[in-house]
Amino acid sequence: MDTLSPLRLWMMRAAFLLLATVLLFFHLLPIETQPVALFEPDLLPPLSSIDPAEARLRELLDQGSGRYLIAPDLMIAFAFAWSLRRPEYVPAVLLAAVFLLTDLLLQRPPGLWALLAFIACENLKVRGRSLRDSSFGPEWLAVAIWLTGILLLNRIVLSLVLVPRPDLKLSLIELGLTIVTYPVVVLVTHLLMGVRKSAPGDFDSFGGRA
Amino acid sequence: MATDRSSSNDFARPLRRILLAVLILILTGIFLLWRIDSPRVERFRAQITDSIVPNMDWAMAPVTGTINLLRDYQSYQRLTVQNQELRSELRKMQTWKEAALQLEQENARLLDLNKVRLDPRLTYITGVVLADSGSPFRQSVLLNVGARDGLVEGWATVDGIGLVGRISGVGKDTARVILVTDTSSRIPATIQPSGQRAIIAGDNSSAPPVDFLENPDLVRPGDRVISSGDGGVFPAGLLIGQVAADPGGRLRVRLAADFERLEFLRVLRDHGAETVTEGANVILDQTMPRIEPAE
Repeated sequence: MDTLSPLRLWMMRAAFLLLATVLLFFHLLPIETQPVALFEPDLLPPLSSIDPAEARLRELLDQGSGRYLIAPDLMIAFAFAWSLRRPEYVPAVLLAAVFLLTDLLLQRPPGLWALLAFIACENLKVRGRSLRDSSFGPEWLAVAIWLTGILLLNRIVLSLVLVPRPDLKLSLIELGLTIVTYPVVVLVTHLLMGVRKSAPGDFDSFGGRA
Repeated sequence: MATDRSSSNDFARPLRRILLAVLILILTGIFLLWRIDSPRVERFRAQITDSIVPNMDWAMAPVTGTINLLRDYQSYQRLTVQNQELRSELRKMQTWKEAALQLEQENARLLDLNKVRLDPRLTYITGVVLADSGSPFRQSVLLNVGARDGLVEGWATVDGIGLVGRISGVGKDTARVILVTDTSSRIPATIQPSGQRAIIAGDNSSAPPVDFLENPDLVRPGDRVISSGDGGVFPAGLLIGQVAADPGGRLRVRLAADFERLEFLRVLRDHGAETVTEGANVILDQTMPRIEPAE
């Protein structure tokens, strides 16, 4: 920590905040205003048999874009990747604030998901020191375990305090996608953002670039 | 470097632990506070949204436009076919328009005979959709009108054809609309022509189920579902959709509004019906504002 120039440190912290803002921005874009069409029941008397004119009109207005895409939770994937690589770039206060803001803006019960994600990140920061020398496999496993754990704990706490839980099928799809895309997130973190594991003796290479 | 870090951690570690504990307590506290006193935290949420999302609007509008342009590409390909179909549809519509005009005149005559006065205060404010809920788990949109425009929690929102949702969470410049497809949405409804009362309870699918129906035998697929009005701020008689059944036999509503791409929404102002509480004061004070004579 002492070997990094303060300028670079604060720039990378600001970069994480910017990354979180950009992710939130794309979440909030008003382009998906209908429910996901994956598990839609077919409605039985087809509209064309009851009201042919209305059915034709709907077919004309239909822009052929049902909602089938579910995005992986990139915010937590990036938070994990950064926490494992450079804990000093994502200080605890920043993580907690970003997760709480996400909770508030994405209509989740405020605080709970933020709390779980925050604990997971802090645990991964500690574990990151031992994972630093190993290959990608154990890291991926640890991330997958934490993602699943957060999902389960979230559902357990919500049902304990009698709050409606999010749809399980959608949650599982999101979990799977997040785990699958985690290597890509790590690649982007490593190559594009220059957040790399600190190896012994490389403290000058970063200072020079900043 | 390793020795360096461990020596600095000797001082930093207890501080770090305290900081972590404080942050965990704060987050837990916020969640518990929300569970106990939800309206207060939801107001806080509306304020945060109000102060952040409108600032993103300058960037959101062009990005949304570009994405929609790309998504529309496939519909451009069948533009010619669509155009022809629309023309023939328009010709049929013209005959319907004649019929509608005749009916309108007849209706006006009948209303005149009945001396019916339509509620002149049922006006609307049109809002632009600023943002969606941001996740597939919730169905809501954020409008660019808010308390500044006089919006009140619970007012109905329509898209020109059918009911879209109700206002829940009003900030100064923004208001959140919980769509009828959201899991927390409950809309009291009447099913015509049988007049049965029911609740349209959203379940995160595009066809919300019909709950608490007294007598399902009286309801047929294709019956119209309209809002029945409640709480003094939700107008009655708004079209919600048509009754249909899913393969399991459960009754659902095929919604009239088009949720595929919500851009503009109408928020219906509703000031509630005046209720008479005291017998002696039935006659309201009806003094007209005095008009100064022009000199």
